[in-house]
Amino acid sequence: MKPVVLKAENLTKNFGSGHTAVRAVDAVNIEVNAGEIVLVMGPSGSGKTTFLSMLGGLLQPTEGVVSLDDIIISDLHESKLPPIRASKIGFIFQAFNLLDALTVEENILLPSTLTSSSKKESNERASWLIDSLGLSHRRKALPKTLSGGEKQRVAIARALINEPKLILADEPTGNLDSQSGLEVVMTLHDIARDTGVGVLIVTHDPRVEDVADRILWLEDGRLSKRNEEAHIWVQDPVCGMKVDKLTARYSSSYHNQKIDFCSERCKQRFDSQPNSYLAGVI
Amino acid sequence: MFKWTFKSLFSQKATLFASSFGVASAFILVIFFSSVWQGEAEQIIAYPNKMEPDIWVMQKGVENLHMSMSFVWDWKAKLIEDMPEVKRVTPILYLNSVIVAKEKKLFGFVVGLLDKDDRAGPWELTQGRGIEGENEIVVPDVFRELASLELGDTIQLADRSFNIVAFSKGTYSSANPVFFVRLIDLEKLLSSFGTFSYLLVDSNEGVDNDRLVEKIKQKVSKVNALTHQAFVANDFALAKQMGVEIIFTMTLICSILAVLIIAYSSFALVSVQTGEIAILKALGVRSPLVFMSVIIQSLFMTMLAFLVASLFSLWVLPLIPELVPQITVRPTTSLLVSVGAIAFIVAALGAIFPAYKVLSIDPALVYKN
Repeated sequence: MKPVVLKAENLTKNFGSGHTAVRAVDAVNIEVNAGEIVLVMGPSGSGKTTFLSMLGGLLQPTEGVVSLDDIIISDLHESKLPPIRASKIGFIFQAFNLLDALTVEENILLPSTLTSSSKKESNERASWLIDSLGLSHRRKALPKTLSGGEKQRVAIARALINEPKLILADEPTGNLDSQSGLEVVMTLHDIARDTGVGVLIVTHDPRVEDVADRILWLEDGRLSKRNEEAHIWVQDPVCGMKVDKLTARYSSSYHNQKIDFCSERCKQRFDSQPNSYLAGVI
Repeated sequence: MFKWTFKSLFSQKATLFASSFGVASAFILVIFFSSVWQGEAEQIIAYPNKMEPDIWVMQKGVENLHMSMSFVWDWKAKLIEDMPEVKRVTPILYLNSVIVAKEKKLFGFVVGLLDKDDRAGPWELTQGRGIEGENEIVVPDVFRELASLELGDTIQLADRSFNIVAFSKGTYSSANPVFFVRLIDLEKLLSSFGTFSYLLVDSNEGVDNDRLVEKIKQKVSKVNALTHQAFVANDFALAKQMGVEIIFTMTLICSILAVLIIAYSSFALVSVQTGEIAILKALGVRSPLVFMSVIIQSLFMTMLAFLVASLFSLWVLPLIPELVPQITVRPTTSLLVSVGAIAFIVAALGAIFPAYKVLSIDPALVYKN
């Protein structure tokens, strides 16, 4: 049994108060094991960014506990979190978030300056990462001269320089073309398998499903396990949008047939005038 | 972090150079005005400094030369000269007056010299000869340029005309240009005979001048005596005092301006770097370290401004008297050190507010594209 590198229990985040309060993340439980790739998918506004921020120690939860490598980070004061983030978490962002004034090599090495590792060790590891990720010819380049795929590989190298326990990747393929995105996906897969780092990826990209060990669905702040089977797509008879039968939340019964809708609005329209949409019923 | 601190600063070249230039301008103003005042203050005491007797004797109650009136009976000079400690006494008559030359008026100080004086007159002539006859005058060389004068021209002193026989160097300041005439001509002008204004006392070698000062004050009634050092110090203090409030106000205004420029520039830098600061924090850089980076960037901008201001001033200031001969400038090392200290304070003050903004940047911003 591989060790648990990340564990969150009853994780909740509320914003605002009173009648304007919003529960962005609602009592979420999750575990990520070493060497495991966990995928979290969900629609926009489902709370993925808030969820990821809490797991990375960037946002204090309202309730619940986050423990990373057996350290309960959710209880720690903000001033204690930076060294934990530097040594135990590798961040990968959709927008790459490289530092424009620093070269590829300097970007990769930056997190190592925040730990107690020796300069020699860090330089050797950086060189190995640069070579492994095919960035040797771009070592001294500035980020603005890199392609999207190259930038993301630099970000991956930066995330790995301190040999973290956990990688948190937010839409790592979001700004990439299909080929570059595929390369990044495969790289993350290899990292998890070869180094034993736990990888949690938040994405809309269906290609990542192919490499994930587990797929979770986050919607309206709640996390559920995605069905292992393939999607069953049907068409909303009101607006025509595709709806996954397995996860649809709005449905009506019509002539003993279950009709799925993308939203409450479409369901109400159908219910008020079903005959108008009969042609759209699959 | 050190690399990021400077590389990100240099990547914002426009902000760096614009703010440094702005602050440098403020520093240049401070250096310029302080140098002009230092130069003018030194020029005010140029005459007594060049004369450098061991002791100055003047009317009781008077302690300096500039802007003063002093009268000492001529027989008191003999009294002092007869003292065994005294080698020589050189009297001068001294007057403030408006001098008119070719319709150009100038407030100046007129020194009346004994005939054949070789002690208390101008120390360097650029043209002409010493005073030999009646109604002859030696004029500062700078005034020659200002009023387009030549040897032989006539200038007016009160109701008397004087012929220019020479031009002197180092005797002009905008506050007290010094003219030289015969003492007897000045006596006639004042209708006052048998009095001197100041006695320049040279003592014999080995004499304790402080004790001689006390002796003169005891033995000669109604006179004040001061060592040369004390006398010049009084004049210099008076000269500085006349301008100290102006200089202080100018320095304060320019320093506030510099602080505002640095504060604005640092704030602009932090705003531009907000995303990167959030990234740094997310990656694990502690807030105090980022705080220090902002302080260092502010310090660098200000020190660069100070360096530019110093180099510019040292290059340009010596040219000013060539272009504007009536201005004397004297930049000193202590002045530059003072401005450097001001620069340091400016940098620290200017960075405080932007640095606190850094502390409030949320690392979770990294998830906003």
